[in-house]
Amino acid sequence: MACEKEIWQKIGESFVQEYYNQFDNTNRTTLGNLYSADACLTWEGSVFPGKEAISGKLASLPFKSIKHIITEQDFQPTIDSSIFIMVFGQLKVDDDPPMAFHQVFMLKSMPPTWVCTNDVFRLGIHNIPS
Amino acid sequence: MVDQPLWEQIGSSFVQHYYQLFDSDRSQLGTIYIDESCLTWEGQQFQGKKAIVGKLISLPFPKIVHSITVQDHQPTPDCNILSMVVGQLKVDDDPVMGFHQSFLLKNINDAWVCTNDMFRLAIHNFG
Repeated sequence: MACEKEIWQKIGESFVQEYYNQFDNTNRTTLGNLYSADACLTWEGSVFPGKEAISGKLASLPFKSIKHIITEQDFQPTIDSSIFIMVFGQLKVDDDPPMAFHQVFMLKSMPPTWVCTNDVFRLGIHNIPS
Repeated sequence: MVDQPLWEQIGSSFVQHYYQLFDSDRSQLGTIYIDESCLTWEGQQFQGKKAIVGKLISLPFPKIVHSITVQDHQPTPDCNILSMVVGQLKVDDDPVMGFHQSFLLKNINDAWVCTNDMFRLAIHNFG
């Protein structure tokens, strides 16, 4: 049975799709455009404050190719009209074996679009592979 | 020694309190949610303090222990705190399982409450 998706789910799904599409299929130099100027990224425990620092980190990740596969994504609206997102999946870097990952995003409306103000990424160290 | 930023102190303190309550008496968890809170538990949505506590109390195990492996905290533009936790949990005599949980904390009348909570077991990455 198809249910009408809530608006925050539609916006969230659209962002997630765009984010991983850019991540996997470009040189990641334009990923910074998805973030607000004061956005904050925590990447495996290291903090990157601001769009420029985030852009620099993502563009400098040391692999030739990466592919993300999203297996689950959860969306919630917040009291302050932001969108809170949790993504689960696996990623494959170059010829390495696939690894689980977990990422959280916070989106804020900045008409005409939605930007990411918070991003936390961790590899799934306890995850059970199939 | 560098002082922890305030949001890390508040986030860590909340996380410690949350799992302490969860592991000792889940019925006390109502104190950390408000009527506008939202929980997504393994993909199911629960809206409001009553529904959330109802779900948590009804979880079918008498005993659970959480162990936090890593936690990350960030301030948000609306002065909230975003916390992401990775850890392991053990229910009754079952084997240990990994879990991921994210919280959004808001300061209301000088108390930090949880307005958004998302929980998943670490079994969803290889769907």
